[in-house]
Amino acid sequence: MKNFTAALVTECMKLRRSKIFWITIVFFIFVPLMMGLLMLVAQHPEIGEKLGLVGAKAKLFGENNWEGYLTMLNQLVATIGLIGFGFVTSWVFGREYIDRTITNILCLPVSRTAIVTAKFSIVVLWCLLLVLIILVAGISIGYLIGIPGWSDQLFSQFFSKYILISGLTILLSSPVAFIASYGRGIIAALAFVILMLIMSQFIALVGLGPYFPWAVPGVLSVPEGTEGMELFYGSYLIVIITSLAGFLGTITWWRYADQK
Amino acid sequence: MQNVIRTVNLSKSYSDVKAVSEINLNVRKGEIYGFLGLNGAGKTTTIRMLLGLIKPTSGNAFILNEKVHANHNELFKKIGYLVEIPYSYPNLTVRENLEIIRRLRFISGKKPVDDIIDKLQLGAYANRKAKNLSLGNAQRLGLAYALIHNPEILILDEPTNGLDPAGIFEIREMLSNLAKNHGVTVFISSHILGEISRFATRIGIIHQGKMVQEFDADQLDILCKKQLLIGARDLELAGKIILQNGFSNPVAQNGIIHLDDSRAIEHPEQIATILVNAGCPPSLLKVDEENLESYFLRTIEMNGGIK
Repeated sequence: MKNFTAALVTECMKLRRSKIFWITIVFFIFVPLMMGLLMLVAQHPEIGEKLGLVGAKAKLFGENNWEGYLTMLNQLVATIGLIGFGFVTSWVFGREYIDRTITNILCLPVSRTAIVTAKFSIVVLWCLLLVLIILVAGISIGYLIGIPGWSDQLFSQFFSKYILISGLTILLSSPVAFIASYGRGIIAALAFVILMLIMSQFIALVGLGPYFPWAVPGVLSVPEGTEGMELFYGSYLIVIITSLAGFLGTITWWRYADQK
Repeated sequence: MQNVIRTVNLSKSYSDVKAVSEINLNVRKGEIYGFLGLNGAGKTTTIRMLLGLIKPTSGNAFILNEKVHANHNELFKKIGYLVEIPYSYPNLTVRENLEIIRRLRFISGKKPVDDIIDKLQLGAYANRKAKNLSLGNAQRLGLAYALIHNPEILILDEPTNGLDPAGIFEIREMLSNLAKNHGVTVFISSHILGEISRFATRIGIIHQGKMVQEFDADQLDILCKKQLLIGARDLELAGKIILQNGFSNPVAQNGIIHLDDSRAIEHPEQIATILVNAGCPPSLLKVDEENLESYFLRTIEMNGGIK
């Protein structure tokens, strides 16, 4: 525990001073703002006409009510989350290679396992903050623009799904940590995130989404009853196994791989 | 005396390239061991194996009689290290970077950070971000990471890189003091040979991944070649006179006779007397002693030269 606490405190110190941390916060506020703008356009077509293309995009919501808006918020956290959380993870692990500080933290009394675990903890905390930001910003903007059809029951249904999607998306960050460590930087990890995002779209399209871990959060975010988009218990298990493999692979890499 | 650092047939290969081949090192307590080699000779690879950063392909490294491996965290408590150019978190200040190392080394209290800042004269830069440090001060910060916990053993890879002459002198004095007065064992790699010869107590030479020589620094006098340099108006005549008087092998080169006869080196006055009596007085008479640099170059030349 002493190992982990020391490592976690130092990770917090690094995070506090990092510009990337603040940039992600601004970005995750900006995205729901844009979503709110689309909703506003959907509710007031006269604004859409002035804005041209945005008017067409605004039809993405289906129904111009809270149900459509919250469904979109779930899809947002599944897609933007996959990219954003992947970026956060690749940065937390890859920065030690980019800044070339990796050798400073490997031959110390603190165990390498504690350092990796602390890094994963900071990734989870950071991602949870971003999840909270999307939620609070999204709901607040929804209220401000006066979307009709709010009900506590609707929110309760949305909230449990939102948390589940966010949790699954965060779990999928651990393989990114492995790629960032193996690739000694963030480029390979970011390429991996983008590849997984593209693959998840194609795989979901052919109806195999419930079997592909990176497609599972997206499949969960579409309205229930959509054909080929029904998850089963094994889908969650696939995500958990993928996450565990990423976590253990990263620890093994840090503990045993040559650090040239 | 106890061997603090020891390697047994330590080797590392990358596919078909042998970076380090069967290195056997012995560093005793309180010694300053100068590990010399050209760039790419295998110094950094050896140091990385001593720190468990890379696994040997064969052989082992031992520190304080314990086998080094990547996860020997107890052993790392006793070691301070610096590998190649030291890097720090660019957006953190000098003090914050040291604070990170302090916490990861389980050092209690803030005083050790203040002390090491004073010791390495980083006070004026304590609140400056690491990315804004000069190369010399970044190097001092790297040394501060290595010294913050008062380690028993220091493993330093080119620690004086980027330091100005005053900084080099200061670090040399500090390391000498740590070894002499506090029993700290210092393993230091460098290619600045003049620097090492000034304070190392033992020297190892590595070339093309192989250990070509290991000797005590006070043996350097014996190992380094000496020769008598003789100048004269008639060099040919002077050479003949020297030969006729039983001295061996005078070689004329660049207008000077080089004589490596031990009798002549020990008694140059005899050469002066002989030449004066023969009517060919010397215009130059000087015993020239090889320094570590020339010795090093001669040693690696004998072991395959520079490739």
